[in-house]
Amino acid sequence: MNFKESEGLRIINNWMAEKGQAPFPFQLQTWQRYANGYSGMVIAPTGFGKTFSVFLAVVIDYLNHPEKYPKGLKLLWISPLRSLAKDLAKAITEAVDDIGLDWSVQVRNGDTPTSVRRKQERLMPDVLLTTPETMHLLFSQKKNSRWFKNVECVAIDEWHELLGNKRGVLTELAISQLRHHAPRLRIWGITATIGNLEEAKNVLLPYQDLKVIHIIAKQKKKLDIISVLPDEIEVLPWAGHLGAKMVDKILPIIASNTTTLIFTNTRGQAELWYQLLLSAQPDLAGLLAIHHGSIDKKLRNWIEDNIASGYLKAVVCTSSLDLGVDFKPVDCVIQIGSVKGIARFMQRAGRSGHSPFERSKIYFVPTHSLELVEISALKEAIRENQIESRDPMVLTFDVLVQFMVTLAVGEGFDSQELLYRIQKTHAFHYITEEDWQWCLNFITKGGKTLNSYEEFHKVVLDEDGKYKVKSRRISMLHRMNIGAIVSDVNLKVKYFSGGYIGMIEEFFVSKLKPGDSFILAGRVLELVQIKDMTVLVRRSKAKKAVSPSWLGGRLPLTSHLSHFLRLKLSDALEPGRFEKELRFLNPLVSRQEKHSHIPKANEFLVESIKTRDGYHLFMYPFEGRLVHEVFSALIAYRISKLKPLTFTIAMNDYGFELLSDQPIPVNEENITELLSKERLMDDVIASINASEMASRKFRDIAVIAGLVVQSQPGTRKNNKSLQSSSGLIFRVLEDYEPDNLLLRQAYTEVFNQQLEEVRLQSAFERISKSNIILKRAESFTPLSFPLKVDSLRGTMSNENLDKRIQRIKEQAFKID
Amino acid sequence: MNILTKHITIKNEELTLTNQRAIYWKREDALILSDIHIGKTAHFRRHGIPVPDAILLKDLARLKSLIGYFKVNRLLIVGDLFHAESNVDVQTFKKWLAQFEGIKLILIKGNHDRLSKSLMDDFNIQIETELIIEPFTFIHEYSEERHDAFIISGHTHPGVLLKGKGKQRLKLPCYQVTNDGLILPAFSLFTGLNTRTKKSGIISYAFLESGIYKFTE
Repeated sequence: MNFKESEGLRIINNWMAEKGQAPFPFQLQTWQRYANGYSGMVIAPTGFGKTFSVFLAVVIDYLNHPEKYPKGLKLLWISPLRSLAKDLAKAITEAVDDIGLDWSVQVRNGDTPTSVRRKQERLMPDVLLTTPETMHLLFSQKKNSRWFKNVECVAIDEWHELLGNKRGVLTELAISQLRHHAPRLRIWGITATIGNLEEAKNVLLPYQDLKVIHIIAKQKKKLDIISVLPDEIEVLPWAGHLGAKMVDKILPIIASNTTTLIFTNTRGQAELWYQLLLSAQPDLAGLLAIHHGSIDKKLRNWIEDNIASGYLKAVVCTSSLDLGVDFKPVDCVIQIGSVKGIARFMQRAGRSGHSPFERSKIYFVPTHSLELVEISALKEAIRENQIESRDPMVLTFDVLVQFMVTLAVGEGFDSQELLYRIQKTHAFHYITEEDWQWCLNFITKGGKTLNSYEEFHKVVLDEDGKYKVKSRRISMLHRMNIGAIVSDVNLKVKYFSGGYIGMIEEFFVSKLKPGDSFILAGRVLELVQIKDMTVLVRRSKAKKAVSPSWLGGRLPLTSHLSHFLRLKLSDALEPGRFEKELRFLNPLVSRQEKHSHIPKANEFLVESIKTRDGYHLFMYPFEGRLVHEVFSALIAYRISKLKPLTFTIAMNDYGFELLSDQPIPVNEENITELLSKERLMDDVIASINASEMASRKFRDIAVIAGLVVQSQPGTRKNNKSLQSSSGLIFRVLEDYEPDNLLLRQAYTEVFNQQLEEVRLQSAFERISKSNIILKRAESFTPLSFPLKVDSLRGTMSNENLDKRIQRIKEQAFKID
Repeated sequence: MNILTKHITIKNEELTLTNQRAIYWKREDALILSDIHIGKTAHFRRHGIPVPDAILLKDLARLKSLIGYFKVNRLLIVGDLFHAESNVDVQTFKKWLAQFEGIKLILIKGNHDRLSKSLMDDFNIQIETELIIEPFTFIHEYSEERHDAFIISGHTHPGVLLKGKGKQRLKLPCYQVTNDGLILPAFSLFTGLNTRTKKSGIISYAFLESGIYKFTE
């Protein structure tokens, strides 16, 4: 039968026509390829019906060949976000009803009530929307294979969000397992544009026997980027300083749009801006909301519903609203402060003007004037369509041992057969027989050293030749721990009188005493007591309160963006006619040029300044905070080989500072040597405490591999007798089993992620080809000033900071 | 193993702090220690968390050295001798204990010591909920309400957090001494450290293999 004349396509075309729509070419293409048995990946901007490209493909195929689809699960829809599933299910159910199919469409994830789950287990719906974690939980059920036998298609939504982290590896493993149960399965990924689409496709679809296609929508989202300039330029910028002054610029933007999302980078900033906006315009109360990951789920749901209904005028939020449900009324996005990456910026911009032919509109509000260079860099990058890659993770043994135990809890597995399958995935393509044996030993004997322990029998080899978990308690503990998202230790915050407000990190609470006030979810709260992982609070009338900081808040600058940043800065002395941000910055740039230097694209700037505090050395690699952490330690190490010195180190996304109370022996003769790319990694290893970094990385690994039992916030039962810290386990393993694969993985992760070895190498490669400019400045320059202030923040309380900065500024101005 | 000592005087009694997580009390020929958590590694293994029992053997070897070094005939254990259920670690401990003749174990019951009475009897341990040997009162968990006594306790696994330049942070186990009490560090190496405290005026004696250091708040 010709697909173009098929009954199924006719029905769908008619249905769309009734709604005044017609399929986009990429949708039509997807439907046709699916009908021909292809798997593939669809790349399209949000709002153009990516979902329907894959979903309707299955519907059309079903309408044409109902006999191929027996009762039960037909389509599995895996998306990274729970909140997406709910609305997607609604949209799909509507479509199914309209078309007149008798399919049931259901959601299954951590929020699904037990009664619904039991019902699903008796009879699976035709379409199930779920998450990678829930897929693995399904695999841990007894007799789970019966549910998946007849699945025709698995769709991976927002694949770019999963690729590049361990949830992506969970997804790869889930697909491998599904193929085991349903060999004819078609696999479709849906993704936004990223830098490495080809690789993204190969990770998702590594299987030789599949017919694979990748379909790119030609439609482009129109995007307006508007930078909000302050009234006057600060020649000595410092992070966060512009905040209060910019409030008056933001209020009119909110007023002139229907619904505005205001993105900040950290939860702490969100709380701060919420307060600032409310106190500047009190009648926004009730129309302005705050949304971030630490706010109670119910409240967040309420906020999301009220954005969708158009009731809320504006919402201050964090990356918590980067993804998720399409909010139709949102016609404007404001980004406050650096966004750190091109992809993230576009993602956020795309949250406004959601329907295909609307424009997205994003305002960029700098928190200090240097960030204007960044917006100029962003515009350039977007013009050139340069978007970051997401690098897939490989050989994550923590995820693998978790998966093995998951299968052992479920139906059990055959060792050789599973190894054969695992090796076909991208993540474990290079696993060796030896690694595999180690993993088997780890789950059956607890690792190499535990050979003789009778009491350790997590996974046992059963009489039928399959590895299984026999203990109910171990099964239960394991199911609680499935997943690859390891959250910081969070405590629930609850009113003394009842009612949850949100979550807060333990380390923040630990600094508070009863009676202290803090801000959460836009409310000032007084700490009463901490009990059973719950922080009990009451409303506070205090005028002053601390805004909590969350550890996970600081994102480093991506290498793509930092590349454009360097280019723009070097242009800044002679900006183009339309580069209003750079033109605006002219006074600052001139000052930098006058007192020091503006580094050109082929230059690397080093500044040395002597002040009352001591001797400062500044370097500006523009490689982001994480790389600078390593870079600065390395330079400090190399200098201290010339002369033993103690340094205080400060860094931001643009550069770093070494401060010493004695002269730093850096001059034109030795600077090239100090910045040499020779012996780079050797010196890095000598300069950092790799073991401590690895110990921090080991935290997630230990939880994922089941070495540490996570306690659930707010629950009384937290397996107290099994509590231990990953740091303790790390030390034990270093002492007793140094060749443990999970330890090795921790070190690998340090090198790949923390030290960003590849990026560091290429930075030094670039510097080795650059002219190194060493400048002695009389006082702080526009580039060094933010570093100075940031380092003050580390050691001083906020009250004195303003005065202190004022004084430094006055001193700096004196030379004019 | 390197045993270092530091003498302190409390209520006119001389106590000898060691860098091996135990106090020697000369007058009573006793070692005072706390939180040995015997059975913890096996308890973890039983629940599918692989932890080698070499940790326990190392703890016991340290204890044996201390007993030999100070030639004591009493062990005053201020709680949490056992971690959870009776398991192979507990059997290992029993065999290990058999080598000492005439040594007396006194256990001030801790929150973890939930082994049945018959099992405890088997070990020939004298069990108390609280013990007074003037001028000290031994309880597992320090309590503020008993302002008449000087309390020697354990339970919290105290540690001290040292902050250096350049964001250096170092956590060390310690003895916490105030004017009405002394809290012992956990004897077992398979324990975490708790650096939080509500009390003020604490003197911390932190230690490493190489030394004992005094910190005043």
